[in-house]
Amino acid sequence: MAIDGLIILDNAGRVIAQSGFHSFPAAYPLLHIDALNNALANASRSDDVDPVLYVPGINLDTPSACCHVKRGDLRYLCPVSGDVDPLYAFAFLQTFVDILHEYFGHVSAETLKENFDVVYQLLEETLDAGGHPLTTSPNALRDIVLPPTLLHKVLSVAGVSGLATSSANSHPFASPIPWRKAGVRYNNNEIFFDVVETLDAIVNKNGTTAVSSVWGRVESNCKLSGTPDLLLTFSNASTLNDCSFHPCVRLQRWSRDKVLSFVPPDGKFKLMEYRYTPVSASSLNQVSVPFILRPAVKVEDHGGSIEVVLSSRLTTRTMENVFVELYLGEGATGASCLASHNASWSFNPRTLSLVWELKTVVPSASYTLRGTFTSSNEMPRPSRAFRVRFEIPQHNFSALKIEQLKLTGETYKPYKGMRGNSLGDIEWRW
Amino acid sequence: MAALNLNMLTENASRLGMRLQETLSEHTRDLAIARGTGSAYLDNPEEKVKNIAKQLDSNSDREKLEAMKRLIALISRGRNVSEFFAQVVKNVASHNLEIRKLVYIYLLRYAEQEPDLALLSINTFQKDLSDPNPLIRAMALRVLSGIKVPMIGSIVVLAIKKCAADISPYVRKAAALAIPKIYHLDSTHQPELINIICTLLKDQSPLSIGSVAVAFEAVCPTRLDLLHQHYRRLCRTLIDVDEWGQVDLLNLLIRYARVMLPRPIPSNESGSNTQFEVDSDLRLLLTSAEPLFQSQNPAVVLAVARVFYYLGPPTDLPKIVPPLLRLLHVSSEVERVILTNLVLISSTVSDVLAKSYTHLLVRADDSRQVKKNKIQLLRSVVNADNYTSLLREFICYADDADDDLVADSIQAIGYIARIVPESTQQCLTALMSFIQSKHDVIVTNAVLVLKSLVQIRMQQQQSIIALGGLPPQTFSPLDIISRLARRIDELRHPKARACVVWLVGQYAASLPTTENGHTPLGPEGIAPWAPDVLRKMAKSFQQEASHVKLQIITLAAKLLVLNPSDRTIGLLNRYIFSLARYDLDYDVRDRGRTLSALLAGVNANIYGENDDAHEDVGGVVLRREQVRVVLFEGKSNPAEDVAKDGKQHFSSSTSRHHGKQTHAYIAAEDDHGRFGSLAAITGRWTGSDNYLPDWLEEGTESSLRDSEADMPQVLAYTSQSSTAARSIAGPAASRASPVILTPTGRASPAGSIVRQEGTKAAYMDLDKFYEDTEETEESEESGSEGDDDSDEEEDEEASGEEEDAAARSPGGGSESSGDEDESEDDSADENSHLQGTTR
Repeated sequence: MAIDGLIILDNAGRVIAQSGFHSFPAAYPLLHIDALNNALANASRSDDVDPVLYVPGINLDTPSACCHVKRGDLRYLCPVSGDVDPLYAFAFLQTFVDILHEYFGHVSAETLKENFDVVYQLLEETLDAGGHPLTTSPNALRDIVLPPTLLHKVLSVAGVSGLATSSANSHPFASPIPWRKAGVRYNNNEIFFDVVETLDAIVNKNGTTAVSSVWGRVESNCKLSGTPDLLLTFSNASTLNDCSFHPCVRLQRWSRDKVLSFVPPDGKFKLMEYRYTPVSASSLNQVSVPFILRPAVKVEDHGGSIEVVLSSRLTTRTMENVFVELYLGEGATGASCLASHNASWSFNPRTLSLVWELKTVVPSASYTLRGTFTSSNEMPRPSRAFRVRFEIPQHNFSALKIEQLKLTGETYKPYKGMRGNSLGDIEWRW
Repeated sequence: MAALNLNMLTENASRLGMRLQETLSEHTRDLAIARGTGSAYLDNPEEKVKNIAKQLDSNSDREKLEAMKRLIALISRGRNVSEFFAQVVKNVASHNLEIRKLVYIYLLRYAEQEPDLALLSINTFQKDLSDPNPLIRAMALRVLSGIKVPMIGSIVVLAIKKCAADISPYVRKAAALAIPKIYHLDSTHQPELINIICTLLKDQSPLSIGSVAVAFEAVCPTRLDLLHQHYRRLCRTLIDVDEWGQVDLLNLLIRYARVMLPRPIPSNESGSNTQFEVDSDLRLLLTSAEPLFQSQNPAVVLAVARVFYYLGPPTDLPKIVPPLLRLLHVSSEVERVILTNLVLISSTVSDVLAKSYTHLLVRADDSRQVKKNKIQLLRSVVNADNYTSLLREFICYADDADDDLVADSIQAIGYIARIVPESTQQCLTALMSFIQSKHDVIVTNAVLVLKSLVQIRMQQQQSIIALGGLPPQTFSPLDIISRLARRIDELRHPKARACVVWLVGQYAASLPTTENGHTPLGPEGIAPWAPDVLRKMAKSFQQEASHVKLQIITLAAKLLVLNPSDRTIGLLNRYIFSLARYDLDYDVRDRGRTLSALLAGVNANIYGENDDAHEDVGGVVLRREQVRVVLFEGKSNPAEDVAKDGKQHFSSSTSRHHGKQTHAYIAAEDDHGRFGSLAAITGRWTGSDNYLPDWLEEGTESSLRDSEADMPQVLAYTSQSSTAARSIAGPAASRASPVILTPTGRASPAGSIVRQEGTKAAYMDLDKFYEDTEETEESEESGSEGDDDSDEEEDEEASGEEEDAAARSPGGGSESSGDEDESEDDSADENSHLQGTTR
């Protein structure tokens, strides 16, 4: 039971990098790449391609499957054979993608090609030839594989690469805590928390909310020296459900006292994820959608007309980057609309959807989009729902507050920062 | 003073330097100023490739590094660069770590292809096994184990043995991972490898234990007896193991528990809430695994869910649902996998799922597979309480742009109508409204579902009438048929038309009870709407698809049998049969011929008076009543349809009768590890790695798992922990318990819980006597540690050590003790530190 290897493909389905596949025939990775490219070519919507593709083996007694994800412009493939839990592959892929982000910031075909030596080192260090993940904690990895930095590159060009490596690399695996580097030193000790919440909701035709849930995550950027032991207390921890934590968090402590006690890894990491459930019994334990959409879609022969009014329910806050999207159905050829308040709209011929984009939606204002669309289908079947995405900066649905952050184990007093941000992904049926 | 100042100055300067480096590196990473150096390697002109060999031989580290980068770049472009193997190997002893790492990456790729060359440099690798840098030691071992030459097998085994005793857990982990490779190369090394695995199992560091589990599964998967001594410690360290190791370890422990531990048995059948008696060792595994439901790694969560699904008592099953539902929001790929797994277990957990079905509502932009699974799940949770909102959802999905979802949701409406009797009216209204839709798919599916509903209702009605009751007046099935019959022109899809025509024919015989004395307008014995359908269909016969034609012929024959004397029907029949006789499709011609022969006894001259072709061919001529039986009776049972359009759901409804708990058992036993496997996702056979054995009749002796190794460990901690008083009680209890436990189990079976009454009588039968003693032994072991079933109690009593684990870590103990532990641990060995800081 293991992962067979990892392949990174660019936008056009060509290989950028791949792991060894030592114990497989040379055709094995190609077989998987072909299987994926074929599936993508045959699917009408790329989302419809099953993330787990069955790939018959070269000889029939070794069937395998290709688990693949798309992140950014790149596709990451993970062939598996034998009866492996596909989640194992997906979890590994996600971890690897996160590591690449950690190393390169923005991940694209270009950055990977520029830093191919680092990518190969990462592949070797994260995945053993036998298909088992080796070192995946970013802190430990940074000791083994140096991130590409300007200084490092300048030094290596100057031919003194030994100097740059010696200081940081003298003690790989010296840290007794797998997720934290040893001997971290900062002049300014600071730790930041980003609380990002996403409102996931479905609104019925009559405007009632079928389901709405708020999923939050606390991302942290830790720049603390030594081995700090933190104790984080939330003011309203009881409203957080279905939590999941970074391995550093002491789970017993949370289940007992609803406080987070942990020795943080150095740098950026995802501390916890949760689902927010409001306590007030009045609103059926649901967070209300911050806007009202009044859609009127009429489907006629070879086209139809659309009129949508979006009005903000918020009284003080501004929604930003509001995208209202409607899939116009197979055969859609175009649309022509008129948007109020200089908002922009567009028809995407690749996804066949109409997108109405509002940069800002000020409190309790209404915006209108009116127009028609055409289709080569006699009876077009547009999607039964609008998809609305929005952002509310500096706001949290849960009003989650950090009550206290206690640091033990070190003597300094850290600077603490917290920031909130809210996103929304609403399906509004018409 | 001056010296002090100078010191401070230099310190500050170095800090400034570090700070500069930090900020610089932070910024440049985002800006990506340092382009150029990297991509230059990627376009290798041929002469530069030739240059590589020279560069590798040069004295400058910089040249070598550049050459190595060039080689790696060539590898990434899929070029075979094994020709440089000899030159590269020379650099393995380079002083520059950067070069060495790249050399090893190269070697890891090509050692297998060039075993002879690799053999030449085997001394270098062996020397590197003693390198001060653990990274190099591990790399050397990885290369060594990658050389696929059986000859050096024993050298590699020695190397693994050396590394298995390494001080760095990272190297030990590499050693564990090398074991499967050497075993596949030459399985004769198995005994030595098992010895190494045994050594590694004793490893106190949680870092390598996951890889040891991997090695164990590869080398000696059947030697579960080796785990006895380590089982409890493995359970307890589970939480400190890295996430990948947790998955591997959990899968190993599941197998161990299935083979070695007694299965949870119902202890007191008191009405609805049956309590289950769980062996203390099994309980230990469950309680150690449960916190991992909160892991950020979805694979770990699913592995824990597997533990609960395959090992836990049915009363614990509901626990696995909320974590799995949480995973639905992680990413679309994870969602797809989890949904399929939920479908697998939906019949056993439908009660819990029903409470949170809103997580499963279908979004318009879900992918195909996700939509399909969500509908299946929503169907499985339908009950009398939530059917109204689910029905509303299904009606909404019928407008979806995805045809499969439309079909599934309309069938789901039919399903609701069947299993929730009070919903029938609403479902039928919805289905009837679908028939007016402009979209083919909706109409077709609605008709198909209506057909099966009508069939079921007819059967029910007949059985009610047979019992002497009155048929329910609301929405009689005949009413549905008459509506469909009137709308036949609006139906365009051939399948739907064929379906309606069949329905009209099948139920055209008007029931005498519905006529209430006054004769209807149509021909006698036939429902008033039927002949008109025949007329319309006769008119359009030639344009119909062939399976509609087949049904039209059948309809004509049926009506004729019902009323042979009616002239119009006779004429229509003659027309249709004549058309069928010369149809292009041979199936239609055959059907026409068959039915005309069948009808010979009813209307001898079906092709018209002056038809010469028809002549008496002899044979048996059936009477009208007999023909009627042939045509009308013995139609497919609608119940089969039900089963066909969703086996999953049918079984879930049957489980309702048997009671959840027994069903859970059956499910867990039948699928042998399908839950959480690849086979479940792809729906095909994928090898049998995950095969789960059945529970054994009874578990093995629990004293086997009492290990001496546990004791010193516990004591070591108590000396460190400031809450010593609390933890001393722990080991004392745990040390004492096995001593007392085993003899009492044999001597007096008094504490037994599961013992039946009248044991004395049972002793007369020798077989039963043996059964009984075995049972008591087993229950004794678990019973005497904690008789109550409440989790809290058991935790405290059953595993004193566990309590210690909680007490010794600052997370578990009081906060004030945390700091002291921390500072002490810094100097202490790595293991204690790790556990001290983890939780």
